Amino acid sequence: MKTINFFLALVISVGAFASDKYSEQMGKYIHAVYTAKTTEEYQSAINALDRIALAEKTKWEPYYYSAFGNIMLATQASEGSRKDSYLDLALIAIEKGKAIQANEAELVALEGFVHMIRVTVDPAARGPHYSGLAYQTYGMALGINPNNPRALALMAQMQFGTARFLGSSTTEACGLAKKALAQFDLHKTNNPLAPTWGREMTQELVKQCN
Amino acid sequence: MKTVTIFLLLISGLAVGQTKISGRVTDVSGEPIPGANVLIKDSYDGDSSGLDGTFSFVTEERGVQTLVITFVGYKLFTQPVELTGTTLTIAAILKEEINQLDGVVISAGSFTAGEEKRRTILKPVDIAMTAGATADIAGALNTLPGTQKVGESGRLFVRGGDGSETRAFIDGLLVLNAYAPAAPNTPSRGRFLPFMFKGTSFSTGGYSAEYGQALSSALVLTSKDKATMNQTDIGLLSVGADVAHTQVWDRASLSGKVQYTNVQPYFGLINQRVDWKVAPEAFEGSAAYRQQVGKTGMLKFFGNFNQSSFSLFNHDILDPSQKQEFELTNRYRYANASYQQAISSAWTLRGGTSYNYYQNDVRVANNPMGETETGVHTKLVAEHSVSDQLEIRMGSEIIQRHYEAVRYNEGLGKSEQVSFNELLSATFTEAEYYLNSKIVAKAGGRFEYIQLNQSATLSPRLALAYKPGKQGQFSFAYGSFTQSAQNEYLRFNNQLKQETAQHVILNYQFTTDQKTFRIEAYHKAYRNLVKFSNANPLLISNQGKGNARGVEFFWRDSKSFKNVDYWLSYSFLDTKRLYLDYPISATPTFASAHNFSAVYKHFINKLKSQVGITYSFSSSRPYYNPNKPASQFHHDRTPAYHDLSANLAYLPKRNLIVYVSCTNLLGRNNIFGYQYSSSPNAQGQYESRAVRQAANRFAFVGVFITLSKNKSINQLPNL
Repeated sequence: MKTINFFLALVISVGAFASDKYSEQMGKYIHAVYTAKTTEEYQSAINALDRIALAEKTKWEPYYYSAFGNIMLATQASEGSRKDSYLDLALIAIEKGKAIQANEAELVALEGFVHMIRVTVDPAARGPHYSGLAYQTYGMALGINPNNPRALALMAQMQFGTARFLGSSTTEACGLAKKALAQFDLHKTNNPLAPTWGREMTQELVKQCN
Repeated sequence: MKTVTIFLLLISGLAVGQTKISGRVTDVSGEPIPGANVLIKDSYDGDSSGLDGTFSFVTEERGVQTLVITFVGYKLFTQPVELTGTTLTIAAILKEEINQLDGVVISAGSFTAGEEKRRTILKPVDIAMTAGATADIAGALNTLPGTQKVGESGRLFVRGGDGSETRAFIDGLLVLNAYAPAAPNTPSRGRFLPFMFKGTSFSTGGYSAEYGQALSSALVLTSKDKATMNQTDIGLLSVGADVAHTQVWDRASLSGKVQYTNVQPYFGLINQRVDWKVAPEAFEGSAAYRQQVGKTGMLKFFGNFNQSSFSLFNHDILDPSQKQEFELTNRYRYANASYQQAISSAWTLRGGTSYNYYQNDVRVANNPMGETETGVHTKLVAEHSVSDQLEIRMGSEIIQRHYEAVRYNEGLGKSEQVSFNELLSATFTEAEYYLNSKIVAKAGGRFEYIQLNQSATLSPRLALAYKPGKQGQFSFAYGSFTQSAQNEYLRFNNQLKQETAQHVILNYQFTTDQKTFRIEAYHKAYRNLVKFSNANPLLISNQGKGNARGVEFFWRDSKSFKNVDYWLSYSFLDTKRLYLDYPISATPTFASAHNFSAVYKHFINKLKSQVGITYSFSSSRPYYNPNKPASQFHHDRTPAYHDLSANLAYLPKRNLIVYVSCTNLLGRNNIFGYQYSSSPNAQGQYESRAVRQAANRFAFVGVFITLSKNKSINQLPNL
């Protein structure tokens, strides 16, 4: 009896240990990807997240942060073809994440982010197609969760960029940015690994509005 | 005791025996690969390779496991490892993946434009915004090397070939009569707008075995996929108006457009050299439907109808007070349905049908004439990816054409009818083999059989490319190309064989992120061209021949100057033909030895505007003065052609564009050739009249409004 108890206790603790390991490791590399500065730091964090994604098979978060890292690398890259290849990797990771968790507003918002960065490679040629796609994808993310702060913030960013590009009024974009900023405080989730980034970016945007 | 045993067992099973794995990741040539992901399969353990390619990590896994290394652009590396606690050292050599984006591609003869591809030379927006082209595909492509500016036609004349030798394909399916009818000496416009297409591939020679019935050039247009947004577009033009609407569903989209144009008010303002009775007027409608099927299937349908008409007076050269009425009504329908589906990861099937119909009703001095052509093209293609090095493409197609013409026989004083049916069946096969990322070869052939005159042709195609460095590459292409004689000849002699052309092309291209340089040289030999016997257009044979050779340069730079994009092209052409009514071998009237274009575009943020300027130059063109002996055939030369055009797109609001363009700003009086009177005057001389533009300049103003939920979308791409 004692044996069985002990055995059970062990199994349970092993199980708990395994799941803790996921959270612990994810916590470590999410922090790494948020604080990375150089290409090497990003690459190392992305690789670690990819390893976790491959080992876990049922978790969308590692794919999410891997994609996020690649998007950050894309924004840092100067050459258009480099940007595109990072964005290609980000999109592949997002697709894999969506295959696990189809209706995750965070993943869909991130996909919109990929399209938005695509525009920057060649605004004149790509603007029409990819900005349309970005708006549509942000719209889909907000359809899943109308209060997702990152979906709101990215949409605001997109509207602001378009308004600036065309020299038109930024009122609508700024209104949305303020709403997004408020949602960063109100947004609650049970998932300790859920993304938290975007507040500073939105604060910057609101500052530009004033 | 039992407890202890189990306990021990468990402990030993969990015992933390760590194994250290270190090593280095390099490519085949020994260069380190930094940033590669090194991992033990199904575990968290691993490392990223450093700048020197080295890695080192500790794993708690035990037993036989798989070490995996991944890096973009390289094949997956796997190696079984036994983890026992003893340190392992791995020397991993990663093999490059073939067919990568910066790998070798065959570029001889072809210019591609698309939104997606990074290495494209022209983008759809470039086509739409090239000054002087007025958003016409052929107009924009006429600024590329390999084309000759033929100002009175507007068609694509490629490397010594006439306008009919360039064939357009939409989603792989043939378009007969790709140009709308135009008034005399006015450039005709393509029937299809540039922004219907996500990709444009313009080949000036040596193209794939998939495309036949084109002697000189293939213009391969790929239509857009499913639309992403509901929107309504309204265009108010100085010559008419259009309205379009797009409706989007989850897996499908439908767009429709109607347009009315009438140049009467414009001609009222700008004096024309044409004696119009009724100025050109056109009504047009089109619809496009897209449906996604399953995971990879895409069904596309496109339909277009157009009706246009005009009438004018032709004045006699000897006695300009004598005039004859010429009246034209053109009815045009085009429908195209295509389907594409990946059957498996290695097989893709695509196919479709296009339907072409056009009718020209002509009246000359009230005598009815005219022609009608119906064509149906059906095609099925299978693409098989045997490995990452070998791709095979094969397909079959059938083109049925029915042609009917009515002409007025003055001798008999009544109309006569001529007609023919042509049934063409073809099959083609092509293999593309990548020896490595530097060398690729493509070989194939095309077999055609035409029932009308039992003619069978076999056309081999071959292309090679070698990319020694990162940015420069050499290409070579050879091919044999065939095309049925033009309808106007085939209708009199159904037994005319296929006209043929052989192309040999050498190309060097240097591409960096936003700069392209290319130089191309070619030789082209024409055989079996239509030839008149004793200058009688009713006695025709295939005895004609000709050749063309040339060198072309292209330079594009979108980087050096901020917000500026420009390209320069130059073509040298040396061509002669002995065909049609030519008494001796001579340069055709449409051919000019030197063609130069400079295209400049500047986006000015402050003014919310894009400005475009295009300068085109063509050296003199030959013509024949019948007052001279036949030995002087095509010896005379017109003055050179110069054109400076500009356009401006202004975006005052997010969904509003004002577009202004004008050709020939300097007002040069360009002369394309001379027409001579059909009989000599009292002094025994044939009198001449210059062939000129209907007006020196063509100015255009348009206002485009887009209504959609998303106000940031505008019609810039649709201009």
